Amino acid sequence: MARSWGRRVLCTVATLSVVAGLAFAADTPRPGGVLLAVIGADPPSLDPHQESTFATLQLVAPLYSTLVQTDPYAYPKIIGDAASEWKISADALTYTFKIRPGIRFHDGSPLTAVDVKATYDKLIFPPAGTRSVRKSTYSVVASIDAPDPSTVVFKLKHPSASLLGNFASPWNVIYPKKYLDKDPNYFMKNVVGSGPFKFKSYTPGATFEGERNPDYFVKDRPYLNGYKFFISTETSVRAAAIRSGRAYIEFRDLPNADVEAIKKQLGDKVVVQQTPMTGQVGIAINNTVKPFTDVRVRKALTLGLDRYTGGRVLFGITGLRDVGGLLRPSTEFAMAEADLQELPGFGKDPAKNRAEAKRLLAEAGFPNGFKVVLKNRNIRLPYQDFAVFAIQEWRKIGIEAEHRPLETAAWFSDGRDTGNFELIVAPTVEASDDPDVFLERYTTGDANNWGRFSDPAIDDLFSRQSRALDPAERKRTILQLQRRVLENAYYMPGLWWSRSVVHWAKVKNYVAPPNHYANQKLQDVWLSED
Amino acid sequence: MGTYLAKRLLLIVPTLIGAAALVFVIMRVIPGDVALLIFGGDTAGQIDAKQLADMRHRLGLDQPLVAQFGTWLWGVLRFDFGTSLWTGRPVIEELLVRLPLSLELALAATLVSVVIAIPFGMLAAVRQDTWIDYVIRVISIGGLAIPSFWVGILCILFLVIWFGWGPPLEFTPPWVDPWANFQQMVWPVVTVGYRYAAVTTRMTRSTLLEVLREDYIRTAWAKGQREWAIVFRHGLKNAMLPVITLIGTEFAFLIGGLVVTETVFTLNGVGRFVVDAVAHRDYPVVQALVFLIAFGFVIVNLLVDLTYAWFDPRIRYR
Amino acid sequence: MATNYPLTHAMASAELAPRLTVAEEVAKFIREKPLGAAGAAIILAMMAVAVFAEALAPYDPYLGDYGAQFARPSADHWFGTDEFGRDILSRIMYGARIALFVGFTASFAGCSLGALLGVISAYYGGKVDLLLERLMDILLAFPQLILALAIASILGPSVRNVVIAVSIPVIPRAARVVRATALSVKENVYVEAVCALGASRPRVILRHIVPNVMAPYTIILTAQLGGAILAEAALSYLGLGTAEPTPSWGLMLSGSAPSYAEKAPWIGLFPGIAISLGVFGFNLFGDSLRDALDPKLRGR
Repeated sequence: MARSWGRRVLCTVATLSVVAGLAFAADTPRPGGVLLAVIGADPPSLDPHQESTFATLQLVAPLYSTLVQTDPYAYPKIIGDAASEWKISADALTYTFKIRPGIRFHDGSPLTAVDVKATYDKLIFPPAGTRSVRKSTYSVVASIDAPDPSTVVFKLKHPSASLLGNFASPWNVIYPKKYLDKDPNYFMKNVVGSGPFKFKSYTPGATFEGERNPDYFVKDRPYLNGYKFFISTETSVRAAAIRSGRAYIEFRDLPNADVEAIKKQLGDKVVVQQTPMTGQVGIAINNTVKPFTDVRVRKALTLGLDRYTGGRVLFGITGLRDVGGLLRPSTEFAMAEADLQELPGFGKDPAKNRAEAKRLLAEAGFPNGFKVVLKNRNIRLPYQDFAVFAIQEWRKIGIEAEHRPLETAAWFSDGRDTGNFELIVAPTVEASDDPDVFLERYTTGDANNWGRFSDPAIDDLFSRQSRALDPAERKRTILQLQRRVLENAYYMPGLWWSRSVVHWAKVKNYVAPPNHYANQKLQDVWLSED
Repeated sequence: MGTYLAKRLLLIVPTLIGAAALVFVIMRVIPGDVALLIFGGDTAGQIDAKQLADMRHRLGLDQPLVAQFGTWLWGVLRFDFGTSLWTGRPVIEELLVRLPLSLELALAATLVSVVIAIPFGMLAAVRQDTWIDYVIRVISIGGLAIPSFWVGILCILFLVIWFGWGPPLEFTPPWVDPWANFQQMVWPVVTVGYRYAAVTTRMTRSTLLEVLREDYIRTAWAKGQREWAIVFRHGLKNAMLPVITLIGTEFAFLIGGLVVTETVFTLNGVGRFVVDAVAHRDYPVVQALVFLIAFGFVIVNLLVDLTYAWFDPRIRYR
Repeated sequence: MATNYPLTHAMASAELAPRLTVAEEVAKFIREKPLGAAGAAIILAMMAVAVFAEALAPYDPYLGDYGAQFARPSADHWFGTDEFGRDILSRIMYGARIALFVGFTASFAGCSLGALLGVISAYYGGKVDLLLERLMDILLAFPQLILALAIASILGPSVRNVVIAVSIPVIPRAARVVRATALSVKENVYVEAVCALGASRPRVILRHIVPNVMAPYTIILTAQLGGAILAEAALSYLGLGTAEPTPSWGLMLSGSAPSYAEKAPWIGLFPGIAISLGVFGFNLFGDSLRDALDPKLRGR
């Protein structure tokens, strides 16, 4: 009797441990496999310092390291990457980073503080002939020093509440100094990084491949043997690729209709991650060109957009839904709804808004409206759909907008670089909710000030909020800044974005952050089966 | 035959040079400065004037137009088509990567279409005005009327929705992995070939109908020869010639079909390269590709004419 | 391409024979060529819809009914609505306008210019003929879509540029056909006689040659129309023609239609049918017209 009881216990324990073992094994990362992904645009170049598009970053992020990063599993917490620890001085004017020892670039040379200094020198003080689109975010930095190979010291002009978060930007990949010295634009076409993957091949318009870096400084990582992106601008082709299993994941966003269809067909084999995004799609007005020099015309344009209805109509199609100001609604520094509704274009009575718009147009000399060209990016989701909505809305106040979609590089060239537009769809999408990063584009001369307007009051408000270490004071200043931008309609925000990332369930350990820039290193991602 | 060949070859040279000139002129009439486009520029659109001038000099844009044309033409003769503004690699390199796929698509589509179309055309002719004839004619008109990109989209949708199957996203040459190659190419071949098969079917049918009315056919019939023997021995031979000329005239539509189908199926071929280059404002590539396609077109037509002349001596003596 | 001498001779002499009245011609056509008549009916219907779109279309094709997105075909919306709630029937009707505008303008412009060049080439002969023939050869070397792409790359995407891009490849094709006919007409004894009597060159061209090339001109015109419509659809699909929210049929097929294929298949179905039907009609009509005017194929 005792023996059979003992045997029963043994059996139970054995069964339980097998079950536990299986459950545990299901969560044990399996090394191997190549991650197949689809992406919807071509990169204008391979240098994230000079580009602002997912088309560049998603391809090259796994190949590089940054100083610090947002935790892939706990956004927006900041953890180290190339830096193992960091210290901020008591007066908040000195930031000291310690570089991890043993990091090697893919060409074998070690990553030291001089490389970090050279990288940030390029970012903050770009040499002539190079573009650094996020330069003004770091304008608070006075100097960078590398006193020894494992220490980097940033000295600031004044305290900044946002700077540490902005060091974690996924765009600030670290380059080896010796190539930057030869040619600051070297990395537009070449890749030498220190990331978990090494560059394997790139066929423009077709594929981009990376393979595992066996000398990566994090032991036993990455799990994957490699990754491969297939480039296709056709949304239906990308959706079909995921649906048929030819690709496992699309990192940006797919239209809700495709997501629903995929989920319906594949059920548990796929996972849908839905997140609100740190980004909105709006329209930049060229403030240097008639008739947009007239604030009445600009106001009329923004009054003509019924954003609340737009959110309802567009969400099912594109994921654009939330009405907000210049910062994401319900984040720390966002404008309260009551404040927002007082501003032109954000009132809840569309009929009244349209009447006011028509009145302003008549006053400005356009009683019958006018014709205008609206340039756009040729990606459907959500650019084209948003433009169709805007054009429809403006017809109701007599403005005839001709829609002109451009390919990504041409769109950046016309919008950001040369100002060759009247109206252009211009989103504000960033890798975090940081106010510095979102608001600097409204200052004079900023690289992302597509509308090319200059308002000293805004410049002043921006630098004040950037220095404000007290959150309450900062919020007040930011509110004033937003009011000024929106009352003068220098830029028209549209709707804030939510996205749906669809992937096969076999892609493990990937958490979609609230934007398609962060968490792209793929360091801890693994495939449960090939 | 020899003199005919020599005459035709001689005529081709000015045509090709003229085509090159036309392409060159079209592509140089660009709104906007090419150098400005490549340059990207510093923040807020400020570009150093000296560096702009340097870039223009490097691209040879400060030379007179005729000199530029001469330089380009000389490069073309040495297979140097310049460098892509978008990828930074030589155009010839980018072209060679993409050529095998497009060639395979074009050849396979032509071959498959001919193999299918001729029997069906013959069937329709021999069974004229029966329901077989009507069905074949309606399906043929579909090939001419239905836009090929729609056929492609419908193919993809049908396969994905009903079978959860999608074509492979990357090109594997047939000598590496024939099955993967087949899976990727079968539906594009169908899409491209549909129009071509339609035209060939119709041509075969009408040619055969004409031939079958000739007196010597009636004689053969009266003499007791079997229907299919007549059709094959006399009708087919005469139907071949117009079909061959069709290759020449339809080649233009074939290229158009390639462009559209490669875009729909996301195939990394020459056709899609042209569309991408246009979208990227990559003028050296557009220039080179348009010229090369025209060149190919002229050569194909020459070959077709030569074949026709070989078979029909009357043509040689015009 | 081989010039068919017996055909052009026959056509030329057929045109110089006594003619029936227009009504009698039409009735004869309908009787003898029902398929062609069907094609003509389709074309006329399309033209009517295009011209009277404002009166016929139940809704504004640009304004969406936000409460009725993805509506199934019903009494309110015969063809259903699209993702913005826009009525598809109305968009198809206005789309006919764009398709026919591009088709007719491009074909007319291209064929007329080509015909003019062909007549000049045939009549003046010699160096003029040689030069023009070379020019046409050069233009013929470019497949239509490729030339259209190149032109779109410099002029940018718009309906006007699509018309230009589609009409240019038509010119050499029309020139060739018309030149062949004009040559044979020129050889005709009747014309020689008129010249001998002292008629001036332009008069000869206008009053004698031009009327006799009308037959091949009409044939090539109808032949190119279907192709022009398809070319516009393809260019819009590739993003080089019209842009949203213009209701062009080709545009309606690209982009959103495949995404909504399961949720709302009518979004992609009706534009595809419209294009196919339109090209089908032009082809049927063109085929029958060519049959009717070619005496060798008559009575088949």
